[in-house]
Amino acid sequence: MSEKKQQVSRRQFLNYTLTGVGGFMAAGMLAPMLRMAVDPVLKPSAAGDFVNVGLAVEDITTEPQRVDWLVEQVDGWYESEVSRSAWVFKDENDNIKALSPICKHLGCVVSWEGSEDYPNEFFCPCHDGRYYKDGTNVPNTPPLEPLDEYEQKVENGMLFLGMAKPRGEA
Amino acid sequence: MKWIKKDLQQYINAKEYVDTIIMPLSPYHLSKDNDLGKNAFQREVLSVFTKEIETELTGRVMLIPTYHYLKNTNKQDEISRINEWVHDAETQPFQQTFFITFDSSWKKYENELEGTLLWFPSMHSGDFQSKEMHSFIRDQVSEVVDLIRSYW
Ligand code: FES
Repeated sequence: MSEKKQQVSRRQFLNYTLTGVGGFMAAGMLAPMLRMAVDPVLKPSAAGDFVNVGLAVEDITTEPQRVDWLVEQVDGWYESEVSRSAWVFKDENDNIKALSPICKHLGCVVSWEGSEDYPNEFFCPCHDGRYYKDGTNVPNTPPLEPLDEYEQKVENGMLFLGMAKPRGEA
Repeated sequence: MKWIKKDLQQYINAKEYVDTIIMPLSPYHLSKDNDLGKNAFQREVLSVFTKEIETELTGRVMLIPTYHYLKNTNKQDEISRINEWVHDAETQPFQQTFFITFDSSWKKYENELEGTLLWFPSMHSGDFQSKEMHSFIRDQVSEVVDLIRSYW
């Protein structure tokens, strides 16, 4: 009898504590959600959002063209506008491709046909890195991975780009 | 690369690929009211300008902190200090130094600087956020990038 009584009281004790902790956690999670719902301006960085890059889908050809746009970025102490760029074209299956121009070697900006010696390729001016049109790195040049690809969507005939992801993840 | 911890960690592992120093030269003073706005504005433009150049060529250039000097100071003293900065950088294997400035008074002393002086005329005022300013800077940047590449 005395044993049973003890059990109940222990369970009660646990119940109280857990409700306490759970309630606390729930409040912690709800508060920011509530704040976002109430005030959309408080929403964090727009860096991951899709942005209209000002290019109509009908103007995209098989020839890569460079588009530049700005995104808000909050990076620790700094809040700034950073520029993003992409090389945009239609591949042989008529799919839109948006490649990041950031070289996978040490990060310089690559250009389509940036060297007269290598037509039909992306070229990195820093250490002669090269990529085929689909972004695959040319073997025996410094880069070891293909160019990143932007997440994309089309709305009202306009191209929207999101984050640049390594090949296969976009 | 910039002189920040994250880039320097990468630099240390890739030294053989980074052979070019970019040193912005920027006058500073508080003494002449008439020039204050203009000089401060040019410093802002220079900072954006050199950062953009660094972004294009990040894997091969090191953008070091801006060298500031009083506008009307004795240039000989400054030249020896600037060259000291260059010598310090040369303890690493850096092959090239480019000085980038909007201050035309350096032009006369070009030969005494141990590196290549790139002087550009700049605007005196303008709106940073405007489309014109963006495309002006972008055009200038791509010219300078081509110029630097021609030295490689
Ligand atoms: S950064 Fe592109 S090849 Fe080295």
